[in-house]
Amino acid sequence: MKKINYSKAHARYLKKLKKEKALVAFWQIFVFIAFLGIWELFSSVGVLDPFFFSSPSRIATTLATLASSGNLWIHIWTSLYETVLGFIIAIVLGTIIAILLWWSERLRKIFEPYLIILNSLPKIALGPLIVLWVGSGTGATIVMCVLICIIITTMSMLGAFISCEQDKIMLMKSMHANKFQILFKLILPHSLPEFISVLKINVGLSWVGTVMGEYLSSKAGLGYLINYGSQMLQLDIVMTSIVLLCVLAGGMYLCVCPLEKRYPK
Amino acid sequence: MEKFLEFKDVSYFYQTKESEIHALDRLSFDIGSCEFASLVGPSGCGKTTILSLVAGLLSASEGEILLDGKKIEKNDSRIGYMFQRDQLFEWRTIWQNITLGLEIQKKKKDEKMLALCEELLKKYDLYNFKNKKPRQLSGGMRQRVALIRTLALQPQLLLLDEPFSALDFQTRLKVCDDVFEIIKNEKKTALLVTHDISEALSMSDKVIILSSRPASVKEVMKLNFEGSTPLKKREDKDFGKNFDKIWRNLT
Ligand SMILES: Nc1ncnc2c1ncn2[C@@H]1O[C@H](COP(=O)(O)OP(=O)(O)O)[C@@H](O)[C@H]1O
Ligand SMILES: [Mg+2]
Repeated sequence: MKKINYSKAHARYLKKLKKEKALVAFWQIFVFIAFLGIWELFSSVGVLDPFFFSSPSRIATTLATLASSGNLWIHIWTSLYETVLGFIIAIVLGTIIAILLWWSERLRKIFEPYLIILNSLPKIALGPLIVLWVGSGTGATIVMCVLICIIITTMSMLGAFISCEQDKIMLMKSMHANKFQILFKLILPHSLPEFISVLKINVGLSWVGTVMGEYLSSKAGLGYLINYGSQMLQLDIVMTSIVLLCVLAGGMYLCVCPLEKRYPK
Repeated sequence: MEKFLEFKDVSYFYQTKESEIHALDRLSFDIGSCEFASLVGPSGCGKTTILSLVAGLLSASEGEILLDGKKIEKNDSRIGYMFQRDQLFEWRTIWQNITLGLEIQKKKKDEKMLALCEELLKKYDLYNFKNKKPRQLSGGMRQRVALIRTLALQPQLLLLDEPFSALDFQTRLKVCDDVFEIIKNEKKTALLVTHDISEALSMSDKVIILSSRPASVKEVMKLNFEGSTPLKKREDKDFGKNFDKIWRNLT
């Protein structure tokens, strides 16, 4: 590659970009600190009743007590384990189902109405049934998580598979590719960007599934903790759990993001 | 010249729920080996259908298609198909794109075939881009890559479906010359589909003029212009006359 000497305007442009980036970062941190500060201030002067709204300092204390009793890790671990497992099962199963539906047009036609109904159905409605079938606890939560993520995975992946240009398939056929080769060398790589966006959507959905599952029936987990806290009217625990959920879901999202950089659209 | 590809009274019907589309009507023509033939005809007349039949992607409703005297079969390795637009796979490097066919046919370890790919890349100024992705190449270069991908499988007959239609005029003339040179160098028989009359005239030994759908052969013109490249052939004194003739025939 040739090294090119750009004009001074380019340097100015880069500097502007950098400045803009720093400015955004500054305001992001500022908003965060201001939010915490105002929250703390209002609850200490009595504008907000800390009993209902908690406060950053009370959340910190709650965190410390929970951590020292060792329960905190159990709750975090339970929820994280359920979410990640549900997420992985839903992605793998959902993609396999999408592949089967792509493979056989007849299968696709048969199942299309069922997919649409299942997609529209609020999965929480199945909650009591799930508890009866698989028993309460971790299993039920994972099933709930899978149910919520799998339909959207199947529908999005199938959509991506089908959107592959017909001429590209013809090209493969003209080189005598069989259906397996068309799948592995064309359809799947073509659908990788969609797969990554499905992953991102499912990070959010799998946490919805876990919290919902834990509301239904559970003995541990952050959803359980929220439920417990609100029943005992200990809103510090509720708020603390929500903060933890934010951190965990954000962390999981960040784990997926590098994939998108690596395989851009 | 012996007949390499021969259409004998070939008809084709597309079936849809609403109706039956009569695309080809008792079509007969032939192409000699190493000949460059063009199909011209109004859009939607059935040109792509003809190529799909030759490539074995469709099979004729009536009549027969012979290749070297024998009825054409599915997956005939003597045929290479170059599609409208380059259809390069963005997630593969140029090298991986070119060797796609070898990979599919499990010939990726065939040293001779790989050597041919390398040679083609070098010969046609793409070797430095071997490990680049298609999006880093210009339209004309991408088209050359698509052609080399087709040539990598060493077909005798090349099918080209409006391969230049996505290019701007300048690039188009240049790529036309390139592709023509490559095909003549490699001694291939070619069947080019185009709706650009001057493109057909400048590249071919023979132009087959089709009627509107259902396509049948209206006229076959043998050409013999002065000049070694399409661009030079355009300067032949009879070029304009022939252009008018086809133009009148098409409208
Ligand atoms: N898969 C298909 N099903 C039904 N009709 C088709 C199909 N493919 C092409 N046709 C119709 O057949 C005719 C010829 O198509 P085509 O060979 O693609 O034309 P051309 O390449 O000359 O523009 C067109 O009228 C088109 O609408
Ligand atoms: Mg066409």
